[in-house]
Amino acid sequence: MLSRHADYAFWIGRYIERAEATARMIDVHYHYGLESPLVGEALRWSSILAISGTEEKYRARYKDLDEKNILHFFAFDTDNPNSLASCIAYARENARSIRDTISSEMWESVNKWYLGMRTWNVEAVLKVSPHTFFTWIKNESHLFQGITNRTLMMGETRDFHDAGRFLERADQSARILDVKYHDLLPSFTQESAIRDVEAVGVGGTVDDHGWLAVLKSVGAFEAFRKTYHEGVTPRRVAEFLILNPKFPASVRHSIGRVDGCLKRIGKNQDPTPNNLAEREVGKLYQELNYMSAEDIIKEGLHEFLDRVQLRCIHIGDAIRECYLTY
Amino acid sequence: MNLASSTGLFRGYEREGFFDEMIGLNGEPRSFCRQLFETLDAMSPEDFQARRELADLTLMNQGITFTVYGHEAGIEKPFPVDLVPRVIQSEEWTHLERGLTQRVTALNLFLHDVYHEGKILSDGIIPRDLVVNAPNYRREFVGANPPGGIYIHVCGTDLIRDGDGVYRVLEDNCRTPSGVSYMLENRMILMRVFPSLFRQHRIRPIDDYTSILLANLRSIRPGRSANPTVAVLTPGVYNSAYFEHSFLAQQMGVELVEGRDLFVEDNQVFMKTTRGAKRVDVIYRRVDDDFLDPLVFRQDSLLGVPGLVNAYRAGNVSLANGIGTGIADDKVIYAYVPDMIKYYLGENAIIPNVDTFLPWRESDRQHVLANLDNLVVKATNESGGYGMLIGPQATKAEIEEFRAKIEADPRGYIAQPLISLSRSPCFVEDHFEGRHVDLRPYILVGLDGVKIVPGGLTRVALRKGSYVVNSSQGGGSKDTWVLGGPLEQEQRLGDMTQRQVMNA
Repeated sequence: MLSRHADYAFWIGRYIERAEATARMIDVHYHYGLESPLVGEALRWSSILAISGTEEKYRARYKDLDEKNILHFFAFDTDNPNSLASCIAYARENARSIRDTISSEMWESVNKWYLGMRTWNVEAVLKVSPHTFFTWIKNESHLFQGITNRTLMMGETRDFHDAGRFLERADQSARILDVKYHDLLPSFTQESAIRDVEAVGVGGTVDDHGWLAVLKSVGAFEAFRKTYHEGVTPRRVAEFLILNPKFPASVRHSIGRVDGCLKRIGKNQDPTPNNLAEREVGKLYQELNYMSAEDIIKEGLHEFLDRVQLRCIHIGDAIRECYLTY
Repeated sequence: MNLASSTGLFRGYEREGFFDEMIGLNGEPRSFCRQLFETLDAMSPEDFQARRELADLTLMNQGITFTVYGHEAGIEKPFPVDLVPRVIQSEEWTHLERGLTQRVTALNLFLHDVYHEGKILSDGIIPRDLVVNAPNYRREFVGANPPGGIYIHVCGTDLIRDGDGVYRVLEDNCRTPSGVSYMLENRMILMRVFPSLFRQHRIRPIDDYTSILLANLRSIRPGRSANPTVAVLTPGVYNSAYFEHSFLAQQMGVELVEGRDLFVEDNQVFMKTTRGAKRVDVIYRRVDDDFLDPLVFRQDSLLGVPGLVNAYRAGNVSLANGIGTGIADDKVIYAYVPDMIKYYLGENAIIPNVDTFLPWRESDRQHVLANLDNLVVKATNESGGYGMLIGPQATKAEIEEFRAKIEADPRGYIAQPLISLSRSPCFVEDHFEGRHVDLRPYILVGLDGVKIVPGGLTRVALRKGSYVVNSSQGGGSKDTWVLGGPLEQEQRLGDMTQRQVMNA
C-alpha cells in the first residue's frame, strides 16, 4: 500500500484509541471525585492533566481548575490536540483521506461519530450526565473497532491500523498507571515503600478507592477481580496492567499485538527482527514477556513506566522511519 | 388521474408552457410515467418529507457533502437530491445512445487528426487558427500515439431538451468530467427510500459503470504488463470532487494517489508504497492538464508529478483522459462538431447542437451584439456556470459589460438563444413544482468500443425559475431512470425462486 495511506491508517488507530482512553479517564475521575470527598477537586483534575501531559497548555488557556473547564478542555477544545473533538476530527480526516482504502462502513462510522460530536457541548454533557456522554464515546470507539474487525481485509491497512491502536493503548495504560501511582503513593515510589505497603495491607480508604479508579479507567476492574481474589494492592494492579498477557489493555498484551502486526507487515516468520521497527517492538515485548513484578519494583515503578513510554515513542518513530515516510 | 383531478402532491402543478418530463400537454401523465405519477401523487407531504430527511441523513453520514464556505467551522451540507426520479423511455434512450456514440467517436477522430496530419484543418472544415491557437491545444502532444488512438476515455456530454422536447447537446466535457458518483449514489439513495417504486418499474441498472471503467483502463495499459497497476490521481482531499475520486478508486479497488505519492525514474512512473517503489501502468487522472507535470505545464503546480508527461509520451504509462482533450470541448469548436461528424463519419449528427453564434465571425458578431438581451453568452473556456450572461435575465450594466468583453476578445465567447429547458417535478415544501433539468450521460470509450450506462446525472436548477443547474450555483440532482425495453423482459436469474431455477 502507499506509505501515505499506511500513515493515515496507523493514525486512525492511534486517534480513536486516544479518544477512548481520554473518555475513560475523565469518566472515572469524574465519578471517583463524586464518591470521594476526601480527594480535593483540584487534585482530582490536576492528575488528569498530568496523565495527558497537558498541564501547561491548560494553565495557559484556563484560569480555574474546575469541572466545566476541564470538561471543555478534554472534550471540546479543538486547540487541545488531544481533546475528544480533536482526536475524532483527526481520525475522520485521516479516514476521509483513505476512504477508498478502508471499508465504507468504517468511514461512515467515524463520520457519524464526528457529526454526532458536533451536537454536544459542555452544557449538554452536564445536563444529560457526563457518564452518558462518555459511554457514548466509548461505544462509538467500540463500534468503529468492531466494524473494522468485521469489514476490513486482513492485510497491511488493518495491520497498520492495529499497530497504531495497540501502541497507543500500551502508552495510555502506562501513563495512567504512572500518574495515578504517583498521586496515590506520592512518597512510596521506591521498592521499599511498596514492600511496606504490602506488609501493612492495602492503604486507607482513599487509596483503596484510588486503585479501583485506576482499574476502572482502563476497563480492568472486572478482569482484575477474576484474576486476583485476594483484593486490590498497588503491586497487583501494576502487575495486572503491565504484565498480564490476557488483559486486552495491559502493556504486555498491547505491545505483543504491535509485534504481531509488524511481523505480518514485514512478512517475517523468524524470531529475529528484519528492521528497526521490528527490533524496537520485539525488544520491549520480550522484556515484558520475561520480567516479573519484582523486577519492576526493583527498578522502581515510575522509572520502569517512564522507560516504557519512551520505548513507545521509539517504536512509533521506527515504524514511521521504516514504512510511513518514503 | 391527471393534473386536474389530483388531490395529492400534484395538486396545483402547472406546466407553465414548458416541456415537462412527466406531464403531457393535456395535463395527463405521459403513458410511461402514469404509475409513478399516481404513486407519488398519493403520498402525503409528511411521508415524502420523512423520506427526504432519511435521504439527507444517509448523505450526511456517508459524507456525500460539500463545504459551505464563509462559515468558520466549514459547515458541510449534503448535495441536494430531489427524490422524484426523471424517467426516460427505452426508445428515447436508444436514440440518445446512438447519438452520443456517434459524437464521441467523431471527437476522438478529431483529436487524433489535429494532433497528427490535421486533415480537417487543411480541408478547411475548421479554421486552423481556431484550433492551433486555442489555449487548450497542446502543441507538446503533436504526434503522440495514445493506445487505440483514444484520447477521450470518459466523456460527460450535457444534453438539454428544448421547448418541443427535442434533445440537444449543450456542451461536451472531454477533460475530467465529474458527477458520475452522484449518478450512482442517487440510485442507491432512491432504492433505499423508495424500494416500492423499483418493484413497480423495470429500471435498467447502472451499477456496472465502475466495472466498465476499470476494464477500459486496464485495456489501455502499455504493452508489457498482464496485470497492470491502475491508479486514480486526485488533487487531494480538499478538491471539491474528492468524494468522487475516492468513490471511484474504492469501487474499482485501485489505489487513490496524489502527485506526491508518485515519482518518475527512467521515464517510468512509480508509486511510493510501504514495500518500496511500485510501477504504475495506467492513471485515471482527475487533475487538469495544467497541473499534471510542473516540468511541462504550470511550474507552480504541487499537484502533479515531474516527468509524468515524458513517461506518457514514451508510452510507459497510459493516461485517461489523454492530454490535450480540452481542444475538443472548447465552446467554439463545439459549434463545429456536426461538421466534424459529417467529415469523419459521413453521417448527419443524430443529436443536434444548440444553434450557436461565433462572434469571431464578422456576421455573427453583428447579430450577437445587436441581440445581447435575447441571447446566452458563454466564455469559451469557463465552466461550472461561471463567465456567463443570460441576456433575457440580465441588467443593462451586465449586458454592456459583456458587449465590451466580446468586442475585446471575440474568440473568447459564443452566444446561443436561450433554450427553455424542460422541467421535471420537484418536491418543494409540501407539494410538487416544475424545475428545469438537464442530463449528463457518462460515455466510456475503451479498446472494444463505446459503452454508456443507461441514464446519467440529471441536474436540476432548484431555485424557482432558474436555468443554472451547476451544484456551485444552487443546483441539485435526481436519479435518472431508463426504462427497460420490450426485449429485456425475460426474468433475471436472481429474481427466480429455487423451483423456477431448477425448471429453467
